[in-house]
Amino acid sequence: MSVAELKERHAAATETMNNLRERLRQRRQQLLDTDVAGYASSHGRTPVTFGPTDLVCCRTLQGHTGKVYSLDWTPERNRIVSASQDGRLIVWNSLTSQKTHAIKLPCAWVMTCAFSPTSQSVACGGLDSMCSIFNLNSPTDRDGNLPVSKTLSGHKGYVSCCQYVPDEDIHIITSSGDRTCVLWDITTGLRTSVFGGEFQSGHTADVLSVSINGSNSRMFVSGSCDATARLWDTRAASRAVRTFHGHEGDVNTVKFFPDGNRFGTGSDDGTCRLFDIRTGHQLQVYYQQPSDNEVPHVTSIAFSISGRLLFAGYSNGDCYVWDTLLARVVLNLGSLQNSHDSRISCLGLSADGSALCTGSWDTNLKIWAFGGYRKVI
Amino acid sequence: MPPEEGTTFPSLENEEEREYSFAVEYTGPPVPYELPRAVPINVEKIPLAAVASKVPLSNTELHIPVVTPILAPDRNRFSKELLLQPTVSPTSVIAFEERVSENTNNCLLSGELSSYESGELAELINNNDISSRRLGACSVSNEHSSMLDYCDSFDKSRESSSRAGVSNDDDLNQADWGSNESVLSLDYPSSRVSSLKTGDCNNDSSAEVRRPQVVTFRDIESDNGLDEEFSQDDVQHQVVTVKREPQTKGKKGSCYRCFKGNRFTEKEVCIVCDAKYCSNCVLRAMGSMPEGRKCVTCIGFPIDESKRGSLGKCSRMLKRLLSDLEVRQIMKAEKLCEANQLPPEYICVNGQPLCHEELAILQSCPNPPKKLKPGSYWYDKVSGLWGKEGQKPSKIISPHLNVGGSIRPDASNGSTQVCINGREITKVELRMLQLAGVQVAGNPHFWVNEDGSYQEEGQKNTKGYIWGKAGTKLVCAVLSLPVPSKYSNPCMEPLSSMTSRSVPDYLEQRTLQKILLVGSTGSGSSTIFKQAKILYKDVPFSAGERENIKLSIQTNMYGYLGILLEGRERFEEESLAEMRKRNCSKETDPEGSSDDSDNKTIYYIGPRLKAFSDWLLKTMVSGNLDAIFPAATREYAPLVEELWKDAAIWATYNRRSELEMLPSVASYYLERVVEILRMDYEPSDVDILYAEGVTSSNGLACVDFSFPHSSSDESIDTGDQHDSLLRYQLIRVQARGLGENCKWLEMFEDVGMVIFCVALSDYDQFSADGTNKMLLSKKFFESIVTHPTFDQMDFLLILNKFDLFEEKIERVPLSRCEWFDDFHPMISRHRTNTNSNSINNNPTLGQLAFHYIAVKFKRLYSLFTGRKLYVSHVKGLESSSVDAALKYAREILKWDEERANLSLSEHSFYSTEASSFSH
Repeated sequence: MSVAELKERHAAATETMNNLRERLRQRRQQLLDTDVAGYASSHGRTPVTFGPTDLVCCRTLQGHTGKVYSLDWTPERNRIVSASQDGRLIVWNSLTSQKTHAIKLPCAWVMTCAFSPTSQSVACGGLDSMCSIFNLNSPTDRDGNLPVSKTLSGHKGYVSCCQYVPDEDIHIITSSGDRTCVLWDITTGLRTSVFGGEFQSGHTADVLSVSINGSNSRMFVSGSCDATARLWDTRAASRAVRTFHGHEGDVNTVKFFPDGNRFGTGSDDGTCRLFDIRTGHQLQVYYQQPSDNEVPHVTSIAFSISGRLLFAGYSNGDCYVWDTLLARVVLNLGSLQNSHDSRISCLGLSADGSALCTGSWDTNLKIWAFGGYRKVI
Repeated sequence: MPPEEGTTFPSLENEEEREYSFAVEYTGPPVPYELPRAVPINVEKIPLAAVASKVPLSNTELHIPVVTPILAPDRNRFSKELLLQPTVSPTSVIAFEERVSENTNNCLLSGELSSYESGELAELINNNDISSRRLGACSVSNEHSSMLDYCDSFDKSRESSSRAGVSNDDDLNQADWGSNESVLSLDYPSSRVSSLKTGDCNNDSSAEVRRPQVVTFRDIESDNGLDEEFSQDDVQHQVVTVKREPQTKGKKGSCYRCFKGNRFTEKEVCIVCDAKYCSNCVLRAMGSMPEGRKCVTCIGFPIDESKRGSLGKCSRMLKRLLSDLEVRQIMKAEKLCEANQLPPEYICVNGQPLCHEELAILQSCPNPPKKLKPGSYWYDKVSGLWGKEGQKPSKIISPHLNVGGSIRPDASNGSTQVCINGREITKVELRMLQLAGVQVAGNPHFWVNEDGSYQEEGQKNTKGYIWGKAGTKLVCAVLSLPVPSKYSNPCMEPLSSMTSRSVPDYLEQRTLQKILLVGSTGSGSSTIFKQAKILYKDVPFSAGERENIKLSIQTNMYGYLGILLEGRERFEEESLAEMRKRNCSKETDPEGSSDDSDNKTIYYIGPRLKAFSDWLLKTMVSGNLDAIFPAATREYAPLVEELWKDAAIWATYNRRSELEMLPSVASYYLERVVEILRMDYEPSDVDILYAEGVTSSNGLACVDFSFPHSSSDESIDTGDQHDSLLRYQLIRVQARGLGENCKWLEMFEDVGMVIFCVALSDYDQFSADGTNKMLLSKKFFESIVTHPTFDQMDFLLILNKFDLFEEKIERVPLSRCEWFDDFHPMISRHRTNTNSNSINNNPTLGQLAFHYIAVKFKRLYSLFTGRKLYVSHVKGLESSSVDAALKYAREILKWDEERANLSLSEHSFYSTEASSFSH
């Protein structure tokens, strides 16, 4: 078979595939009779209302000297770990805004960090293509640096996101620029399973984010530069359970809905979307036309405890609070007093849902909490 | 309001004005509370004026009451307006103050007094209840802050706020404003608030109870606006250090926050505002101390200069309160954070305030002025004499530093008419000169060098050395004049101290220049990185690294062997097939040649080796070659040795050019396969240079280095000596994933320049999908150059593998790559012998082609950016060539810094030099 013939057949196959994909999309469109917002408003739900003082910035965590790239809360106790381009991880006490640990990293280009479920250790990863684990209880060395207690190496590209498997300190899932996600066994430092990659039906571009289902920790979802999100089962690494199309740009962030049956995504196309993992359908698009033509990217999202609110950080420094039911912006944290000066790069909700932490390229982290009578939503 | 309000100032108003007055007669029911009397203005009794006279005027910003932020727009406007009231007018201040403190009653008065916001105030007055609405706003703000705390206390604060509100009514004291504010602090029990208030009433002169520390809502912008306003008012502002006042002040010696304790309790002091806190309060008041021991509200402000000496010196109290690590971090932050550095504009040298770079130069010079304090200095650049403006010299620092303006004749306020380097010297200096035996009759003008040699102006010959005589030093000591620090070896001293002196930490952070090195795979960027390591590091590779490199070399080795063995199988089959064909032709042979001899070609290997070969190929196919090593090394080393001696392998090796998979470096290693695969093999630097995939294993590698001072280097510049302090960080990133949608290129926006690496010899190479590798590089180059992160970034293009290229271009025409199809070099007739004697001016074909390609890239670059691309060619395996390229990069970085200082005429000179360097 000649090369020209092969190329021809390849082109034909691509064509067929695109046609099929288009048909699939149309069929989905047909089936989609309503979205969450339409249904909710038809049932007379009214949007959440927020006064200007209902959500206020009550702490500013200062101490990083570079852009903050990532943060994570402990499951219990109000501690936060944040990773910044100054090459440090800082562990904060969010109540007192004190630093309890500052860890100098061997590689300054860190992109992600995570707290372990028992709050005993933190993990981070970045351009060094490794995931490093630091045990917070280990003694510091002569220079006052916390030594790396374990490195998980094996990725062939940068580590873009990591998250501990809930309720166990020994497993962590990382996503990487080498198009794979990996489940690691921290005690041995070896890969338990690799999701995606060359032979399998995985992502076709860099994976940027993972989120583990809170109610069923065997399932996790990943978002990638190929504009899709994929659902994986850790027991069956060979192929993705489901692929979610819809976004028109890189999927920067994914986060499971609190009930575990849905997940949210945030993308470079400026939208957040809500997908259902049981039906595979897209439930809702959250998009607000920007005032200027520059569409800001969604950098990070988080759901409130009930799921009624969706917090989304944008590259222009906005941070919208969406009402997930009615798809309306109820508050823009970026317009409040004391808001960040620069891009919101990461955000996270504390485990009890009482406070939101945002990290920004202006080197600060801010903690927002509900004021007045409202404690949790 | 009773009409007497209007009649309070009969002298100020005549009947006509009253018509336009905004005061409206009060017609409502009688008020139950007592009406405050508006007292005629008495200049001495203006409350704010009294306070302002106590502190520097620039400080007055702190007295401006800051209104708690509430999002409601009208309130915002209100606060702005208040802040913008020119405080120089005492009346308006009173108006404001009183309006705030007495909730309703004074509207009339203030309305008449302040002529500015008449519109707003008219509203206020007409609407009697608007002030109560404002009170509501106040309590909203209280709620507001109460929510800030995680722990409840909402009710408590509400309660205390109402209490404060009540107390406001009967207190006309200015301090009320403060106490009203202080309620916002949730941590104050309300009883304390009232006690504070009474305390303040007693000493109202300095009572300025300010907003609490827990959360600040201070409107920074409007603050700045005020600041500017004051700096205009106050010419002295620039020189006078702005001293922040503490926000709360209790009775003498007590803690500024809890007002307990006395002067003997141990306290920590804020390095900005001098507030003192007891051990219970210090952590609350200072928070996480991101900039050291400062109140939360003082973060970001420059420190009190008198406390500079105690920076980084920890007190016992902190040590007790915090863990060791935290204390260390805080002290480090205190010393190194930007806000705590000496503000360069406070230091004036020869009448010019310094900028950041100049201060850095001054502090990092080999012989810096000790304990630099804000103030104006004069500096004699030729001799290095340094002193306070208007005083005799106090020190001799390093000469020729490019800081400040030029020295003025009256810099040291001398009156002797004798000049040294254009400065009229003081009498003390004149006396010293006389004692040193210098001829000073006739008011000569001297020219003194840093080594003490002096000459009279306009004359060439050196007349002598001022500090040459032993007695002079003694005289200087008596007259308290400076002498050069190490006179015995003035020339040697800077160099030796340079190498031994460690750079202060905060300077190191400033002088680290980052260089990003990128290149598509196979462009040799990793070789350049390794060369940099070998060139500039004392220990280029640590033991662990060497061990890893050794493993990867050995793994590569097995890979090469595998390729060879695969080739051997192929060759064996081919020759077998050939043999069979021959056999077929010899079919007529009745006997039939012996079978075993049939199967043995020159590519035949024994069964043992065959088994090894099969095993190796199988592992390679399954792709886990990395996994089985290094365990395999031990086992198979002798087998490999046997294999390598086998004739079949040699026969294959001789046909290696037919094996496309085998990289060109493989032969370098294969020649020494036996040695390398031994257990005790130690890779040499050259081995490491040749090794593939050593640095790319983990995406990103970086090396910190500084260029060593070599003799050849001195020709370039000895002038700016702080250069050797400059440190460079070479960051090499893997090309994979560096695309348009690359998520992490943003992390490198702080690099000084980007070195882009292209392999020249790629022009006839094709990637797996059939695209020319040079075109791939070009595409990659375009995407990097146009990436928004690298807007306005300098690029250095390194055309690598020049040696291979020179050799290849003789065989393969450059037009193999379609981008280069219009390459028509002028080839001289005598080209055949130019290779041997390239001394004559005929450039070789390789050089011509290099220039051609360089121009191609330069055009491409200027098409996208409109700027100039720097190009250099490099032979990656020759250390001298890499060294030259990296030094060129340094020149570009330096040139970038200096570009701003140079005029246009010099521009052309520099740019030609830069391009000629690349040739």
